[in-house]
Amino acid sequence: MELAVDNTAGMASLRSLDVNDVQEITIAPSSVRAAVAAEGSVVDIRGISYAYEGEADPVLREVSLEVGDGEFVLILGPSGCGKSTLLQVLNGTIPHTLRGRLEGDAFVCGKSVVETRVASFATEVGMVFQDPEAQIINTLVRDEVRFGLENLCRPADEIVARQTEALAFVGLDGFGDRSIFDLSGGQKQRVSVAAVLAARPRLLVLDEPTANLDPNGMAEIFGVLRRLNRESGTTIVMVEHRVDELADCVTRVVMMDRGSIVFDGDPRSAFSQRRAAHSEEGDAVPSSAWFPQAAEFALALADASGTPAPSDDLPLNVDEAVRFAEDHFAGGPRAALPERAAIPASEKPLLTVRNLSFGYERKQPILTDINFTLGEGEIVALCGRNGSGKTTLARLLVHINAPPPGTLMLGERDITGLSARDISAEIGYVFQNPDHQFVTDRVWDEIAYGLVVRGYADHAIEERVGEVLDIVDLKRYRDKSPFSLSLGERRRLSVATMLVLEPRLLVLDEPTIGQDHERAQLLMGLMARLRERYGTTILMITHDVRLVAEWADRALVVSGGRLLFDGLPQAMFANTDLIEEAGLLAPPVFEISCALAADRPDRVQPTLSLPHLVDMITGTEGRSA
Amino acid sequence: MNRSTAFQFRSGSSFFHRLDPLTKLAWLVAISLLAFGAYIAWVQILIALAVLFTALALGRISPLVIFRGTWLFGIACVSFWVIQTLTLPGTHVAFTVLGHPIYAESADYALASALRIYTIILSSLVFVRTTDPRELAIALVTQMRVPYRVAYAFFIALRIVPTIEAEIKTIRAAQAVRGVVRKRGLASRIGEMKRYAMPLLVGSLRKASMMVMSMESRAFGAYPQRTFVESPRMTVASYAVMAVMLALVVTWYGALAFGYVHSIYVFSGA
Repeated sequence: MELAVDNTAGMASLRSLDVNDVQEITIAPSSVRAAVAAEGSVVDIRGISYAYEGEADPVLREVSLEVGDGEFVLILGPSGCGKSTLLQVLNGTIPHTLRGRLEGDAFVCGKSVVETRVASFATEVGMVFQDPEAQIINTLVRDEVRFGLENLCRPADEIVARQTEALAFVGLDGFGDRSIFDLSGGQKQRVSVAAVLAARPRLLVLDEPTANLDPNGMAEIFGVLRRLNRESGTTIVMVEHRVDELADCVTRVVMMDRGSIVFDGDPRSAFSQRRAAHSEEGDAVPSSAWFPQAAEFALALADASGTPAPSDDLPLNVDEAVRFAEDHFAGGPRAALPERAAIPASEKPLLTVRNLSFGYERKQPILTDINFTLGEGEIVALCGRNGSGKTTLARLLVHINAPPPGTLMLGERDITGLSARDISAEIGYVFQNPDHQFVTDRVWDEIAYGLVVRGYADHAIEERVGEVLDIVDLKRYRDKSPFSLSLGERRRLSVATMLVLEPRLLVLDEPTIGQDHERAQLLMGLMARLRERYGTTILMITHDVRLVAEWADRALVVSGGRLLFDGLPQAMFANTDLIEEAGLLAPPVFEISCALAADRPDRVQPTLSLPHLVDMITGTEGRSA
Repeated sequence: MNRSTAFQFRSGSSFFHRLDPLTKLAWLVAISLLAFGAYIAWVQILIALAVLFTALALGRISPLVIFRGTWLFGIACVSFWVIQTLTLPGTHVAFTVLGHPIYAESADYALASALRIYTIILSSLVFVRTTDPRELAIALVTQMRVPYRVAYAFFIALRIVPTIEAEIKTIRAAQAVRGVVRKRGLASRIGEMKRYAMPLLVGSLRKASMMVMSMESRAFGAYPQRTFVESPRMTVASYAVMAVMLALVVTWYGALAFGYVHSIYVFSGA
């Protein structure tokens, strides 16, 4: 252990410190330590590097970050860039719970992270994680909210008062006696926020708290955070991919790439310039992948009209984007465009769902009288709130749940009459968590599995596996274990295991949860290639409205077990009652175009396509097509 | 969304729901002692009826739930009874079935043994169904002086069972769509376990480390003691239940010891 103690400055400089030896450090009196941290700053990190135990490559490299009282900091970056790791330093989880090699100085709320136990940060730093199921310890709401204060041995009456206060703040007044299991995803996450608020922390740290939530649940959480920051002055540091709804409430944006901070500044300058970042696999990805769409739109519009990119007045939300667009109209009125026609139902539908009702218990139907068809080569989005019956519906298609006879027809055949193996040759189903579907120890075997169990000849297997490995770009990993790949690669592999059977229908269950926009785009690009090559129909369950807007030919909306809508995505977003009922939000580009169309119907019509909107405004529509 | 198992806590307001967990635990132990001590069918029938009454009236558990939770054991007990009745030796022939003599002693003993198993299963169902595992953990800490870290470990283990069950179901479904067919037989079951193990392990480790972070960040383990805002307390009803159970156990074992129990067979016959 190398430990340099600079007594003259009265501080323990903990460079090159092996954290396993941490108990040997003599802890300086707190008054001395407080003097070390920059005055008034909640977070004061100087040049920290960190490598997980047993790993040679550091995840964080020379990171410095100072966060002042009352700031709302959004940390962005591609998967694997070290952003979650950085958050874990903020309450001492690193280096106390997760060991490893930490170098540099880190002070949070005036305390040295290396010298302070995680439990001692409980009243200063509140941590909220992504998965509500994993972070909630108790079964009743009130027990969960009391948990921290009970551990701190606070008197019972104080605990009850704080519990009431915290639940009221997150809008869950009177929920104390409810069971956590009966709550929606958004409510569960609000309980997690209340559970840390009860200790009245100065700093709230959140790691993708809305990744598992539907848009409605996400809005609930962001609403709470905004109030917490503005009204109570709580400092917030947060990692989150959903920037559209966040960009205008944060005060600062930090971008990370490969373990380092590559940008640190206010949101407008953060999103005014495209920078290069790198994915976990080392590929270059544009940082614009996690720009809010309003900003992306403004940059594209500035590009197209040849004006310099805005920086000080870069729009971050729909209203600002509409005002920005007003100054960029050029050219004369456009010729009336024909409305985009609904896609005609194909002559021979691939899949017909007829009068489908389903429930585990007769008195509690999960699905009621569902009717629709899927045509060949369509990309269809299946939308609805968490718990609306989407996944149950999709699972009926592959016989995970048994559908009633005569309700599901694959071409001319009744699905209920087919064996599980016959169905899986025609309908592929990609689960939310790719790990659940792996059945072998090797990437190559994994892809070959479906062919092997169906008795394909060796040379045919060799040929098809090779082809699929090319399509999903995993050839270099053919001999590795599936579990050693990155999340993005595992996701591609799970798609590949389905592809190899050349299914006519591929069902994707929440394919982009916890992934940034860039990854989602890559996956959808793969889907589009599939459709081109094999004419595969894609049915994707998703909350990601930008994904629906960009890729879906059609949208289905399920609410309370009934099919409320079947039509073009644009018509879905235009129906405000429907999107409210389904807990959806329209993508910013659609709202911007609607607002502009209301003022200038001769120039703009509502659209889901960002380039199309830019073309309409600059008067280049038709020329670029 | 999944059908819940019968052996799971459900909140309620019945007499048993309101009873403190330790009293219920004592009740469960007493019932087991009585059931194990009784080798005579009529006593076992009385105990079984008493437990059934407790389940229906005092625990407000619906007959459907009782059936769902115990039918499998019920079938096992009936077959156990039949086999034992036919195979155990005896002296008094109660009646004959297809020319085969059925002895009063063997039928009686077999019925007692079969009911004993059913009674213990049923009383466990009553206990699990009406006792919040968290309350039990707290009771262990506040009334039994068990260290709270140990009690919480116990509670979290119980709390996480349904999560793991759900995850296994998901993995099974996820692998079924790959064309994995479930087969009978030990070898294929072992193969199945192996396939489930990796995804389950990866998922559980991730969840466990998340739970640890979530608990530590809220000061779990900061002090040797912690506050419990609400902890279950013994009430008059608790003392009454305890007294009745204690009296029954002492009386029964006392009667056994002093030879007051005479064998009266349910199947007396000839």
